[in-house]
Amino acid sequence: MSKPSTNINAEKQLIQWINEAGMSEGGKRAGFLRRIVEVLTHQLSAMIPMYMENVLSFVNDKSTDIRKIVIGFIEELSTNFPYTLPKVISQLQLLVIDTVVAVQKRAIQAAGVIYKNVLTWISKDESVAEMKHVWEHITKTKLQILNMIDSENEGIRTHAIKFLEEVVLLQTANNSSDFSIDNIPNSLTFINHAALEEEAEHIFELLIKFHNSQHISSVNLMACMATLISLAKFRPKYLARVIHALGDLHTTLPPTLSQSQVNSVRKHLKIQLINLVKHTSSNDMIPALMQLLSDIGMTQQEINKAIPKEKRHKRVLALATDSKNGDSPAKRSRLDSPPNSQESDSNSNSRTGFDDDSIQTPKTNLVNEDSLFDGLNNLDNVLNLVMSTLLNNLPNEMPSNFINNYQPIPNAGTKTQIRSLAKMVHSVVKGESEMPLPAPTIVTKIPLLSEDDEKITLKNAVAKLQETTKDLQVENAVSKLMEEKRQEYLKEEERKAKEKEKQVPQLPAIPKLKQKVKLLKLHEITRPIPKEIKERLMLQAVQRILNAEKEAAIGGAAQIRAKFITIFASSYTPEIRDLVLNYVLEDPINRIDLALAWLYEEYAYMQGFNRHPVTLQKVNEKPDQNYNQLLCAMVTQICERGDPLMENSKEVLLRKIYCEAPVITPEALDYLKHLVVEEKSLLALELLEELCTMRPPRAHKYIPALVSQALNEIPEIRDIAIKSTVKIFKNGSDAVKKVIEKHSLLYLGFIALDNPPTELMSSRHNIRVWSDDLYKICLNLVMALFMENDDFIIDVARVYGCAGSEAKRCVLRAIEGPLRAVAASAPGTVPPAFQILLQDCPRGAETLLTRLVHILTDKAPPTPELVSRVRELYATRVSDVRFLIPILNGLSKREILAALPKLVKLNPNVVKEVFNKLLGLHNPNNEILPVTPEELLVALHLIDPNKADLKFIIKATGLCFGEKQIYTQDVVSAVLQRLAEEQDTPVLMMRSVLQALTLYPNLGPLALNILQLLIDREVWTNKVAWEGWVKCCERLGTAVTRVLAALPARALPSLPPHLARLLEPQDVAPTFPPQPVPNPLEPLPPGME
Amino acid sequence: MSDLYFAVVCSSNMNRSMEAHAFLVKKGFKVKSFGTGEKVKLPGTSADRPNCYEFGVPYDDIYKDLMEKDKSYYTQNGLLHMLDRNRRIKPSPERFQASNEIFDVIITCEERVYDQVIEWFVSRKSICNQPVHIVNIDIQDNHEEATIGAFLISDMVTKMSQSDDLDNDIDELLHDFEAKCNRPILNSIMFY
Repeated sequence: MSKPSTNINAEKQLIQWINEAGMSEGGKRAGFLRRIVEVLTHQLSAMIPMYMENVLSFVNDKSTDIRKIVIGFIEELSTNFPYTLPKVISQLQLLVIDTVVAVQKRAIQAAGVIYKNVLTWISKDESVAEMKHVWEHITKTKLQILNMIDSENEGIRTHAIKFLEEVVLLQTANNSSDFSIDNIPNSLTFINHAALEEEAEHIFELLIKFHNSQHISSVNLMACMATLISLAKFRPKYLARVIHALGDLHTTLPPTLSQSQVNSVRKHLKIQLINLVKHTSSNDMIPALMQLLSDIGMTQQEINKAIPKEKRHKRVLALATDSKNGDSPAKRSRLDSPPNSQESDSNSNSRTGFDDDSIQTPKTNLVNEDSLFDGLNNLDNVLNLVMSTLLNNLPNEMPSNFINNYQPIPNAGTKTQIRSLAKMVHSVVKGESEMPLPAPTIVTKIPLLSEDDEKITLKNAVAKLQETTKDLQVENAVSKLMEEKRQEYLKEEERKAKEKEKQVPQLPAIPKLKQKVKLLKLHEITRPIPKEIKERLMLQAVQRILNAEKEAAIGGAAQIRAKFITIFASSYTPEIRDLVLNYVLEDPINRIDLALAWLYEEYAYMQGFNRHPVTLQKVNEKPDQNYNQLLCAMVTQICERGDPLMENSKEVLLRKIYCEAPVITPEALDYLKHLVVEEKSLLALELLEELCTMRPPRAHKYIPALVSQALNEIPEIRDIAIKSTVKIFKNGSDAVKKVIEKHSLLYLGFIALDNPPTELMSSRHNIRVWSDDLYKICLNLVMALFMENDDFIIDVARVYGCAGSEAKRCVLRAIEGPLRAVAASAPGTVPPAFQILLQDCPRGAETLLTRLVHILTDKAPPTPELVSRVRELYATRVSDVRFLIPILNGLSKREILAALPKLVKLNPNVVKEVFNKLLGLHNPNNEILPVTPEELLVALHLIDPNKADLKFIIKATGLCFGEKQIYTQDVVSAVLQRLAEEQDTPVLMMRSVLQALTLYPNLGPLALNILQLLIDREVWTNKVAWEGWVKCCERLGTAVTRVLAALPARALPSLPPHLARLLEPQDVAPTFPPQPVPNPLEPLPPGME
Repeated sequence: MSDLYFAVVCSSNMNRSMEAHAFLVKKGFKVKSFGTGEKVKLPGTSADRPNCYEFGVPYDDIYKDLMEKDKSYYTQNGLLHMLDRNRRIKPSPERFQASNEIFDVIITCEERVYDQVIEWFVSRKSICNQPVHIVNIDIQDNHEEATIGAFLISDMVTKMSQSDDLDNDIDELLHDFEAKCNRPILNSIMFY
């Protein structure tokens, strides 16, 4: 595509963009604008006049970005298309005073470039009117920016400095190829070369002043430094003054800088100086620069390295001249170093209104500061100097600036003042001897600007310079006076501090911060208070706060006061701690809340909620110890003070402390235990219980203290302790339960020991012998807990198994109640723990087991499982038949009958119980009896006499016959009939027949039948039966005749004669009146009484 | 976020500056990284024989070169891993002094590098008068410190970009940051 058509397309595109930029907003518009600028300045530069207005019109756009783009466009135009300057220059002026800082900065930045472009353009262009227009605008802009050096915004200052650098460079005559004012033809009337150069001079001074001002930020200081160095490099006429200013700066860095800013500034200074040294323009000033370099702390080697070779030669030459004076370089630098520190010490005075006009010094470059110092120390010299100055230079009238600026020299005559004077003289001497001296007025002007002048804003300084004569020093006199006063005070303070420091030699390179009027630096005017005084003051302060209880309450600051006190008490010295503790204990009733607040504060520390940063924490601090100590101190001191007034509230206080303290330490718990033993046992126990119930997570830690009181020798304490323990056990957590169980088992275990353990005897008699009481004490707890946890039965059984007989007895007695209670709580069932015990009975615990079974069956019939367990045990382990008694009715008939021989042999009382059971005499449950009374009696008769002595059987049958309600006539007759049917006549049958007859005479016919039956069995052959038969016959009297008649002849000889007689009148027998029945009680067989 | 343009500069544009570069890019900052040394220097198998490359030699080439020289050694000391990371970020190490871009903030990782950057600025005449802040944070040249350093730089850069007027705030900002990170900070202002 050919170029023109490209341009046409591009123009179309451009127009479209311009339109779109107009339509769109914000970021999009900025994007279009960028493209427009790009195309316009590069591709379509010919179209600029046509379209530039379209871009410039955005100068008032809302968006910061767009305004910046416009500035960039103006800058670009001024560089490449200077003919547009007349059109754009007014826009720049607007933008420089934009409301947005960022835009302002960009505009200032551009202004520097544009200013140069303007001058370049002016030097070439021809249309004077336009030039003049542009020049006026740019001059105005320049003034605006000049004023901005005093802006509040540091960034704007920075930019202004850079702009001013540009201005000074451009407005200073220059021989090099660099563009400057020289290149502007003199023909232009509106440009006054001399005025401009003068203005540059003023601006330079302004910069120097700004550079050395005290309220400059570090960034701007560095920017300014760079600017000065740059000026020195490119305009050598400023070099000497720049070096001087840098030297001044080095000794008087602004006091506002932090250490690292100081480091940055010094580094910057060093780099800049080294760069300057390398620059050709600095050749003449090498010695001064080297001096400065060594002042800022560079070693000789470093300096040598930094300085180019060819320059070093000059240096060597200079040194050679020095050495003629007998001063070797090494020596010189050594001499130089220490005084520097003093110089910096005195820097607060180094810029006082010293008028060095008046001092004439010998014009020689063979002097140095030290020689001057020596000279000034000589009174004659000084006298001569002053006299000759006064004679030669004293004006007839006092100059007005002297009146304004003069300040008395506060430390006149001191070493430091002489030293600083020497330095100043030296610099003047050097300046005069080594450089082409600028106008003398200027040389003097810089040091002449007194401290007061710093109050005048730099802007005013500029204005002053421009108006040349008018003195704008209209200041608020009062504020000035105050400033002076303060300054004097600060100086005094500083001097004192410095004198102290002087004893320690300092590196010369460390700059001393100069004291500044406005800036109060606390660490400089104050000194740390000694530790003891601090602590004493602290103590007093706390004391005052403590005393201000009423005032604080009235003022509504009670809470804050409490907070203060707790913080003081917990985070400072032990003394404060004691103080507050004593305060609390003075009136514990009213100050308990404070004490608790403090306690909580300590607790917070203990838990690591620390309000101090790590660095402030003392390494050896033991927060948990503090808490513990405080808690214990409060408790013991409240409890143990003898104040009778307190007596009543002691309990309340203790309760409050123990209940509200965030945590109870082991020591505090120990004290509580101790209290149990002391007079406050009731309270202590209550507290212990409360602690356990109110603080479940820690209850397992508190409970041992309570449980151990179960062994206390005082019954009341024991009871309370046990009751509380049981209560806690009921509601407690598993951990608590475990602890309690452990203790109760421990105590239970005691009873198996040969002697009572020390725990039991601690406060008791020395003789360690078991007694029933002691056993009981040991058992108390476990028995009390039995209802809650019947598992104890297993442990009890285990211990019971190995315990002595005395102990066993006590256990049986003690466990009776609890066992019954447990059994009653679930009638008809066997609790699981019991089942376990039944299944696995420890050795030696069989008696306990028997007791258990007894109790279980006492109120309810035995369950089948219980029966089977007992049966099993009876078969395997317990051979004692008594074991069966409780479950007797649960056994089968066969089993009962099998056991019967053994049962009847037991103690008569037991036998009676057995029979009561078997016969269901005490049978509230109406259980079905496995053996009917009839069967029982029959069985008794059928017992093999070899297995059980007949005597027991007789007694047993006697018991049966005693129960008339059961063994009614019918029952007895049935029994007798059954017995009669037996093949072998039971031994006791006849005896029982006789007894039956005694009880129930109506059984006569049955008896006759039996007698008849026995005849058939040849009863006479059995001696015992025959005796009974005969007796029976006797009892029955005449009614037996028929039976007797039935006797076969071979039996008759055995028949007693009185019976035989009945047989003879056999046929008349019925006529005989019936024989009286013999006394039924007459010959009762044994066992019937 | 402001559109500040950052440069992170270390000696060889390998470890510290690249670690920070990677980190800052991930956080969405406009950033470039550079080295100020004469050459790109990497540790060799012995202290007296470093591996030297010209700036501009791609990370990839260096990677391959080291791989050939002693793969296991350079894997073990982490160089290969670092180079691998670097070649994913940009093609080759760049020398700061050769760059003609204009940054708003230059962050250096070592005092020597800071000096070199300042010297470079001092030795040339400013043309467009645009200020640039140069900040130094000392970071030791090893992997762990580089990581920590990247965090610190990221913190600082975040703070800077949150500022409405960095030129005005920088003194205070760096002062606060210095107190926070507990390392000495150097800073200066220069002009392009």
